[in-house]
Amino acid sequence: MTRSKPLPAASLHVVLALLDGELHGYALMRRVEQLSDGAVRMGPGTLYGTLNRLVDTGLIEETTDRSPRGDNERRRYYELTPNGRLVAVDELTRLRALVQRTAGHLPGGAPA
Amino acid sequence: MTTPPGTLRIYQQLVRLYPRRFREEYGPDLVGLVADQLRDEPTWRVLARSAVDLALTLPARHLEAHMDRAPTPVVPTLFGALALSAVVVGATVGHPIVLLACIAGAVAAGWLGLLAAHRSKPLTQPRPATAHWWKLLAAGAGLLAALVAATTAIGELPDGGWLVAMVTGLTALVLLGAGIVLGIVHLAGRARRGAAAAWSR
Repeated sequence: MTRSKPLPAASLHVVLALLDGELHGYALMRRVEQLSDGAVRMGPGTLYGTLNRLVDTGLIEETTDRSPRGDNERRRYYELTPNGRLVAVDELTRLRALVQRTAGHLPGGAPA
Repeated sequence: MTTPPGTLRIYQQLVRLYPRRFREEYGPDLVGLVADQLRDEPTWRVLARSAVDLALTLPARHLEAHMDRAPTPVVPTLFGALALSAVVVGATVGHPIVLLACIAGAVAAGWLGLLAAHRSKPLTQPRPATAHWWKLLAAGAGLLAALVAATTAIGELPDGGWLVAMVTGLTALVLLGAGIVLGIVHLAGRARRGAAAAWSR
């Protein structure tokens, strides 16, 4: 069975953050920060560069514009495509296997 | 916390340093994001983070803009045409050495064409290796067809031609056989998975 290559760190955090449903840029940034316990803080250029790449590769898609902010600004929402969801689950499986194999090195961890 | 318009205006100007396509696509979103941050966090922190982000992402976005080429079917088509031309030239010239070189060239170009077609596709769900059975079958059939076309065009084979024809024919048969075996394994696996899915429902 062939496996897809691991996603780069920023893309990985974005697809994992979108597993619970669609989000707009700022909410996505906050979600990534929350999921990583504050360790990953994406700047605007990093976030939108990553979103651009993920849209291009078909892992996420833009959804309908909504809730206009009253000053002609728009808020774009993003969600995982079916393929993106599969890749995200594949990444989670890969991470779980990695943790299981190396858990013995954790303080007080049982040998893997 | 109020949003200082000056800070946002400075960021808006700095966004102009991004490549035009990226700026046009995401410029308002970048500024909107910073405006959101400024509402929730101290200005100095947002500014510091945005400055670092700009320093890191500006070169990256410009490099991407320079390197970025939308996937097109041009390269796979070119390799396909090259493979076909090699077969036609080999069949037309008829000399065993030329024929062998052309067949080798056609196989290499065909393989590169398949590789280019694969790379130009978006990321897909991982597939089992047996899913590629039809490619082997097609390669075997193509090679066999090229051999038949070449021998028909040449008529009586010159010295050494039989050896080339036999090696080519054997290669084609091996490819066909491998394709058939992998195809059976693949279709059986799919039927088994379908039955398992029906059972679980």
